[in-house]
Amino acid sequence: MTMINELLVFAAVLFVIGVIGVIIRRNTLIVLMSVELMLNAANLTFIAFSRARGDVLGHGFTLMIIALAAAEAAVGLAIVVAVFRSHKTVNVDKFNLMKR
Amino acid sequence: MDAVHPSAWAFVVVALGGALLSVSLRNILHAIFGLALALFGIAGLFLYLGSPFVAAMEVLIYVGGISVAMVFAVMLAYSLGKKEGGSTRRFLAVVPVGGFFGVVGYALLRASFAVTSKTGSWDLKLVGRKLLLDYNVVFEALSVVLLLAIVGAIIIARRDEKTGDDKTADEKAASKGNDAASAEERAS
Repeated sequence: MTMINELLVFAAVLFVIGVIGVIIRRNTLIVLMSVELMLNAANLTFIAFSRARGDVLGHGFTLMIIALAAAEAAVGLAIVVAVFRSHKTVNVDKFNLMKR
Repeated sequence: MDAVHPSAWAFVVVALGGALLSVSLRNILHAIFGLALALFGIAGLFLYLGSPFVAAMEVLIYVGGISVAMVFAVMLAYSLGKKEGGSTRRFLAVVPVGGFFGVVGYALLRASFAVTSKTGSWDLKLVGRKLLLDYNVVFEALSVVLLLAIVGAIIIARRDEKTGDDKTADEKAASKGNDAASAEERAS
């Protein structure tokens, strides 16, 4: 049994869970966590293909995605903290300073 | 591709459960623990897929770094037990997303991918050589991105000392009083 199809479907499931989290949840931190889930789904796809094709490049790209995710989380959390200071909320719907 | 041991499904279940918990739980701290669980499951899958280094990086950076940073952000920015609110119509979003997943999942299950018979023996040395020789521009760009992200995060999250918009009125009055006192001191 090679598990590649099943693993890819599982990665798609993870991605869809992330998308639903981004759309449904209103808490900024949970939205950020859902984005992390989507990035991890991409990681899983890269590693699964890397293994299936015997090509090591997928590992390199996965490491790059992990580094980018760390940068994204750092900036995202900093923005959450800064916005919470000015708005006293983390509800995404309340962040409409540019709309007004 | 040599076969993956069926016990990898245990990690699939762990990762799936953690992901569902992390998007569904109301308590934000519990949701973060769910995310950590999901990331552990994914790291386990990486082990099964023959990449212990990436699995270790996943645990180190995601579970040890990002999850902990989120806990700190909760402490700094979130009062626990707040109601989230929002319209229930948003749940209709599940329909198009589910449709998208149906199409993609069906295609993925039906497709047959070119699978090599090579055993997935990958080498950390080989990864390093690829990153530093063939793809060194990407690697260097990434280091600049990380540096900018760190500096940017500090600048964004820093309190603005000049305007002091973070302080309450009392604190402002107190600091003004201190300023006046110190000015008097200097004058005398």
